[in-house]
Amino acid sequence: MSAISIQNLSKTFPQKGRDYDVLKDFNLEIGAGEFVTVFGPNGSGKSTILNMIAGLESADSGSILINGKNNDESKVGFVFQNFNESMLPWRTVEQNIRLGVEGNVKLKVQNTKIPKQIEGVEATTVSPPQTKIANLLAQTGLESIKNKHFFELSGGQKQLTAIARSFAFEPEILLMDEPFSALDYSVTKKMQLKVLEMWQNFNEKLTRKNEKLTVLFVSHDLDEAIFLADKIVVLSPRPATVKQIIEVDLPRPRTLDMLESQAFFDYRKQVLDIFKYE
Amino acid sequence: MPQIKNLLLKSLVLTIFLAVWAALTETKYINPLFLSTPNETFKELLNLFQNQNIALDIYYTLSRTLWGFLLASAFGVLIGLILGYFTHTYEAFGFLIDFFRSIPATALFPLFLLVFGIGDEAKIAIIFWAASFFVILNTIYGVRFGSKIRVKAGKLLKLSSFDLFLKIILPQAMPQILAGMRVALSYCLVLAIVTEMFIGGQNGLGKKIIDSQLVYDIATVYATILITGAIGYGLNLAFSLIERKLVFWQV
Repeated sequence: MSAISIQNLSKTFPQKGRDYDVLKDFNLEIGAGEFVTVFGPNGSGKSTILNMIAGLESADSGSILINGKNNDESKVGFVFQNFNESMLPWRTVEQNIRLGVEGNVKLKVQNTKIPKQIEGVEATTVSPPQTKIANLLAQTGLESIKNKHFFELSGGQKQLTAIARSFAFEPEILLMDEPFSALDYSVTKKMQLKVLEMWQNFNEKLTRKNEKLTVLFVSHDLDEAIFLADKIVVLSPRPATVKQIIEVDLPRPRTLDMLESQAFFDYRKQVLDIFKYE
Repeated sequence: MPQIKNLLLKSLVLTIFLAVWAALTETKYINPLFLSTPNETFKELLNLFQNQNIALDIYYTLSRTLWGFLLASAFGVLIGLILGYFTHTYEAFGFLIDFFRSIPATALFPLFLLVFGIGDEAKIAIIFWAASFFVILNTIYGVRFGSKIRVKAGKLLKLSSFDLFLKIILPQAMPQILAGMRVALSYCLVLAIVTEMFIGGQNGLGKKIIDSQLVYDIATVYATILITGAIGYGLNLAFSLIERKLVFWQV
């Protein structure tokens, strides 16, 4: 079963008195545990797709299933581009991360995937919330500023807090909508490595090794899309269709020197060639 | 250094204000029946504190102001939260608020007198009535126009409706709610003075002003007006400080 299954999705937006197709019969299957990046030109509906998967926007027609369920029955983690608008500036770093575990507990238990034979051993909620938050603070390096208020942080620290919050939530799938587009180059590079590291750590804590967290990461930065991904979904301009899905076979853990490797260049060329003959 | 500069600037503005006032009155350019000179006014101000019970009037006016303000705040925030959160209630009742807030509170004096008599109750009720609208409207706006993304993020994290309200919607509405309360506070003082002037009673700064006016004691009128200005300034300053503490994240 796909972690995310999108079928015949259509969406139009009214603009200047006309209806524009943002998506028309859009299909996409994303396997469990994959780190998938979505790359496409601006206005190609990348964010719209993420919003619809999360249920933040409604589709005109078509279906979206997350592990075979509707989005309101699933735990969808979401890291927004605009961290100032999505986080709580009146809370400290630690309190912001804690919001990820303040949700409805009943639902959490329902969705925890525990195989029958190892019942009693929890799959995802191994540690109590406090330990979980402490771990995330340590992993992100936010430990030393955990009592600082969110509004006092730098952009990178803010988005790192947002990412930690979404991991504290222990989602089934994690959606990231151009999370680093507001950050400068060197901070972005650090954040990319950090996200991969946190994803790796999160996956290692799961008791079933073959089951990893599925991440769908929207980016308009080609290097970023290649660097992070197992697979790159390349979109066409409006209405968005999947032009091609490119498998990225770079070894993990990824390192920054891979950005200069021949293999990386080849992926780059492969994607750019898709747009060359438009 | 900027603080000293700021202080100097303020002193300069104050000096110019006093100089213009003195120039207009000492030369009798403005009829002394309408405006007393700074000299007379400040002498009378001193006299009010030394020989008359002005402190008692200040106390009565302040207490009416604050009672009206407290009631308006409590009621206004409650109603504003309900109307802001439940969109349907705003659609149903919103026009009534816009209608009633357009009516000058002074026009409703007879009605309030009829219901509450001529005591403090009528004064406080009018203050409460008129100031509530500022709080209600600002609270509605704070709730309705807070960050939608923040609320969506909370929903995705499976927060209950109660938690969403308590942990996200209410705190993000706080800056707007407090801004409304600050405007309401200034307005409460104005209304306290006006009700004291035009609704019977024995005390209060408004009463002092109207009584002095009737006997052409112009220096007392303006000395009392200076006091009300100072009180208004002080109240606003105090509330701003509280506001900054409460919504510290707002730059």
